[in-house]
Amino acid sequence: MTTTAASTTTTLMLVGGSHRTVPLELRERLAFSSEQAALALGQFRDRFPGCEAVLLSTCNRVELYAAGEPESAALEAASLVTFLADCRGLETTRLEPVISRVQDEAVVRHLFGVAAGLDSMVLGEPQILGQVKQAWTLAREAGTVGPLTAGMFQAALRAAKRVTTETGVGRERTSIPSVAVADFAAAVFETFADKRVLLIGAGKMATETLRYLREAGARDVTVLNRTASRAVELAARLAARPAAFADLASELAAADLVVSTTGADEPVVSLAAFREIASRRQGRPLVVLDLAVPRDFDPRIGDLPNVWLYSVDDLAAACDANRKSRQREMPAALAIIEEETLRFMADMHHRTTAPVIEQLKAGWSETGEAELERLFRRLPDLGETEQAEIRQAFERYAAKLLHPPLVSLRSESRSGPPHGLVDALKRLFQLGE
Amino acid sequence: MNVIMTTFLSGISVVCFAASYAVALGCEASRLLFRSGVRSMVMVGFASAGLLAHTLYLGWRAATESAVPLSSPADLYLLLAWLLAAGYLWLTLANPRTPVGLFLLPIVLGLVGVATFAPDVPSPLLQDSTSRAWGWFHAALHLVWTVAVVLGAVAGAMWLIQAGRLARKRPPTRGFRMPSLERLALVMHRTLAIAAWAAAAAFVSGIILNAIQYRRGAAESVPWTDLVIVRMGIMVIWLIAADAVALAMRRRPRGDRVTAWLAVVSLLVMVGWIAWGFAIPSRHGGGVMVRPAEALAEGGP
Repeated sequence: MTTTAASTTTTLMLVGGSHRTVPLELRERLAFSSEQAALALGQFRDRFPGCEAVLLSTCNRVELYAAGEPESAALEAASLVTFLADCRGLETTRLEPVISRVQDEAVVRHLFGVAAGLDSMVLGEPQILGQVKQAWTLAREAGTVGPLTAGMFQAALRAAKRVTTETGVGRERTSIPSVAVADFAAAVFETFADKRVLLIGAGKMATETLRYLREAGARDVTVLNRTASRAVELAARLAARPAAFADLASELAAADLVVSTTGADEPVVSLAAFREIASRRQGRPLVVLDLAVPRDFDPRIGDLPNVWLYSVDDLAAACDANRKSRQREMPAALAIIEEETLRFMADMHHRTTAPVIEQLKAGWSETGEAELERLFRRLPDLGETEQAEIRQAFERYAAKLLHPPLVSLRSESRSGPPHGLVDALKRLFQLGE
Repeated sequence: MNVIMTTFLSGISVVCFAASYAVALGCEASRLLFRSGVRSMVMVGFASAGLLAHTLYLGWRAATESAVPLSSPADLYLLLAWLLAAGYLWLTLANPRTPVGLFLLPIVLGLVGVATFAPDVPSPLLQDSTSRAWGWFHAALHLVWTVAVVLGAVAGAMWLIQAGRLARKRPPTRGFRMPSLERLALVMHRTLAIAAWAAAAAFVSGIILNAIQYRRGAAESVPWTDLVIVRMGIMVIWLIAADAVALAMRRRPRGDRVTAWLAVVSLLVMVGWIAWGFAIPSRHGGGVMVRPAEALAEGGP
């Protein structure tokens, strides 16, 4: 890969689309599997030699990040859109209206926001960070990364980590099963390892909730279904114990946590029936996650002492509150993204001055060495220690002289490539191109 | 001990560690307002600095008192505050996301405040080794039951807040994540039991100590009708009754809620018990007529 970062004309480019801009039907056709992405990056390398590229493809976005010389074909947005269309066998005209094109600093800002989950469908979701890492690894293996994309993706991971640790954007849970287990059931029980979990019915939501409960340590799980054979089948699939529906009352009396998702039209457990069951529970707390619509448990059961009953609506409201809580953290998260973007851009601009600084240092060092040689010839009695002291003094003097222009260059880099200063240095010290 | 060290130790005042605890409390309160990556470090840093200053202060007083070390009411309130501050630090390090300091630190600061108004003259009692041993035992038991009451009340308050949040079906408030009801209930039951039995033992040991003093004809013995004995008796009865009710309710649906309220009210009763000690004079603590807060002079608040 040709190094382009040091060039003063390096350009960053992004073409792609996300759930915000590209319809699902087109997104499905545009998406790349890992193998397809590796193949595409190989084609990119051949089609745009000397340019860098990383391809990020998830179920919600397909984005091609490229870096190179602006006059090269790769850094023309139209070429990149055509490349994407060719890779997926799509007509360019279909992509043109929905594909976003972003350049330079905006690319960095966008990537940092994406890595932090700020552009995700579920704000702050953490999976995107892993997908960004995967995309980066894939590009590295395909040999399409260079110093600029490497620096940008590493900075993106750092920005995402800062957003995670310094804000609450990704902290509160937003899915019903995760909220049910982490925010409610875990607030009642210290551990699930010694608790008895009862699954009534086995809808998709119940099995997902059971997954979270298993992760939290639940071991003793009973599955209860109206059809005995179905209960046995479900129990085998969920590594649980089957029970007959006729034993509902005794199972409820023994349970600590109930997840209910039957398709019944009427409540499966009435208030009167539960009162009778409650008398056999010896006051033990019971958490009921009633995920069925219509509800399986009479809502008045939740008013009984030591019964914590949550319906889908209750949990959805909690999820919504958590989502709003995440939204409130957005300004803080965006401030971090902005700060990291400016820092990265300043570093990038500063790196463009490296050749001039090297030339300057080399020139001064050469002159210094020549003067030292002349001095040592005229003072032949100097010992090795004295010579070393004088040499160090020269080096310190050169470093101190060089310090102010370096500070000025770094300072100027914060507001863009310091072309003016670099040109001035070249002319003042007669440095070559 | 060299002069510099002596000057340093004698320069540590109550304000030093009270200010550190107050900053730690401010950090705890700020959890409710904003997130910060460095807050935990600042909070633990100030709490640790406060605890260190607190330890040195008590150590200096113990080393320089002429009578029974740390036997004055003021010292014993400070010792109680030290135990609670150490407990706070341990709990915070073990459970960094639980804002236990919001509950414990105000009590620590309150005790430090009470100590500044309490007499700081060490007990002239307990001249012989038997009396002194009983005195230490009596004081240690007082510390145990008071710490247990405070921890139980904190757990009870947390239980009520957590249960209220679960009943309202609201997700946890930012920076205000409470332990589970199960864990809090366990702490409440254990601390109520410990408080009841330690208070009873403290009462009995105080009676024995007084009987020893009385048999020797010591002028410092407390009259059997002294209000300090009545006051402690009432406290013991309350704590034993609270524990008995909590035990009886344990397998009832409202059992944990009742226990939580009993734990919180026990702290209020203890606060009243301390205030009573300040208000009514007693002979407890020596041959001179002193305020009953000097009950602490023998090892009991």
